[in-house]
Amino acid sequence: MRATRVFQLTALALVAVSAVQVGWWILDQHAYTLEKVRAARTAYAEQTRAAQALLDAGTPAQRVQQLLPGIVVSGGRAALSTEREQALTTEERRRDNQYAWEGGFFLLALAVCIAVIAGALRAEAHVLEEQDSFLALVSHQFKTPLASLQLSLETLALRSPTPEAARTLIDRMLADVARMELMVTQILESARLERGRVAFKAEPLELSGAVARVVAQLEERARQEHISISSDIGPGLYVASDPLALDLVVRNVLENALAAVASAGGGSIALTTRALDGEVELSVRDSGVGFRPADSARLFEKFTRLPGRGTGHYGTGLGLFIVRRLMEVARGRVSAHSEGVGRGANFVLTWPAAAPEPRT
Amino acid sequence: MSAAAAHATRVLVVEDDPHLAAGVMENLRAEGYEVSTAGDGEQALAWLAGHNCALIVLDVMLPGIDGFGVCRTLRGQGNNTPVLFLTARGDPADRVRGLESGGDDYLAKPFHLQEFLLRVRAILRRWDWYHSASAAAAVLRFGGNEVDFRAFRARAWSGEPQELTEKEAMILKVLAEHAGEIVSREDLLERVWGYDVFPSTRTVDNFILRLRKRFEKDPANPRHFLTVWGVGYRFLTEGEP
Repeated sequence: MRATRVFQLTALALVAVSAVQVGWWILDQHAYTLEKVRAARTAYAEQTRAAQALLDAGTPAQRVQQLLPGIVVSGGRAALSTEREQALTTEERRRDNQYAWEGGFFLLALAVCIAVIAGALRAEAHVLEEQDSFLALVSHQFKTPLASLQLSLETLALRSPTPEAARTLIDRMLADVARMELMVTQILESARLERGRVAFKAEPLELSGAVARVVAQLEERARQEHISISSDIGPGLYVASDPLALDLVVRNVLENALAAVASAGGGSIALTTRALDGEVELSVRDSGVGFRPADSARLFEKFTRLPGRGTGHYGTGLGLFIVRRLMEVARGRVSAHSEGVGRGANFVLTWPAAAPEPRT
Repeated sequence: MSAAAAHATRVLVVEDDPHLAAGVMENLRAEGYEVSTAGDGEQALAWLAGHNCALIVLDVMLPGIDGFGVCRTLRGQGNNTPVLFLTARGDPADRVRGLESGGDDYLAKPFHLQEFLLRVRAILRRWDWYHSASAAAAVLRFGGNEVDFRAFRARAWSGEPQELTEKEAMILKVLAEHAGEIVSREDLLERVWGYDVFPSTRTVDNFILRLRKRFEKDPANPRHFLTVWGVGYRFLTEGEP
């Protein structure tokens, strides 16, 4: 990494020096041409003066013109021939043009090189910065459950609590460990997604079946939290996605809805689908804590935590980020809408529609 | 701290993580403090607008306004309640930021329970000292300046009114209690901030500079806040002849 950077910077410096040299070369050549033309003009002026002297001394005009071929004589006055004069001007312009074109081409090529190298350097710096802030965020995310775990353990050690209080502490510690485990899984998942290293095999999948499986797995938890889940999903809607990705996306969105409704003390979640022009849409509407409309895009960023979500919410800050990335990989999209804090939310997932294909 | 005093001491815990908030609350209650909690900065400011407490335990990374912002807002409103920051970011630059925003102490997560309780006690003890010392001698007059320790206000020799930060007031109180004696930088750190909070004693020097600017007729040639080279400071109420 470091060696590459040194190489890139050296190349950038070399190219920049070359560009300066080409620029200098153009100016130098231009000055050289001017110098040559000026010398030629001086020589011609001397010839003209010599011719005039010969004429004044009585040499016949024809003889003078023979001796000095560039000179024309008319009415006893010697002058430089128009052809010579024009030839000089043309030569000057030709050379200047040549240097401008050649030099310009080299300068352009070098400018492109500089832009490419500088762009690569900037992109690399950006990646490093992102990695740093990602690491900082990740370590912060871990420190909170770690602090909670340590606090519970030290409380147990320091206070010799009643069996009921000890049970509460142990449940809290187990939940903290589960939270950290989920975070490790999701961090690895999002890191793989970021580097594009996912084996994503799009195939036609029946949406109602996939959703029904996830709902069945979360129904028990929903019941405990006083949340009713209703789904009105028509059969025969096929989306092009990877089966694991589809499962993960639906699960994350549904878990997010469960957390939002649980924070509001219970309520309902409604899943509906519809077929659009070449696309299939799944809408997950909840009666939960909602969010400010201005925050709808931030929801899908890493480690976003919004105010007003209340306590009792144990998100890792990665679930919806993973949803967005997976939907991008599936050439679909996800959006979130809410009328405001306390007014529920609606998450809409959209996939490209697929024709049902008989499996072989 | 006596049981009766502990009974009257209320602590506000501002922490968005419910487990950590519950753990901190239970432990403070077990020590005899009364505890209120807030889940984010806005809630905390709203609670503080209508209630008083002896100490705020304030998480830094809160959703919405962060802990530093909450502390700055409070200080801007003239609320001098001591603040103990809890944060997942423990680097020195962050520590300094926390203390400069008006915090009293700074503890990095994950922390040890006993250290946490020790620091809570230390902050409250410092404030107990300040309050009782201010009750005994509420007003300090020197060189035409008049300082009211309870109101954190002063009138300078020029007649200009001055709002003191709680640290400036505490330093002045320590110096005034030992008027005429040499007080070392370490003593000042210990009395005003507690132990290893600041990375250097240089901070004390900065606070002395601020006090000179407020109260000396010529801050470059101080007559009340004298530097004792290599040791610390000496405060003279009469002014150096």
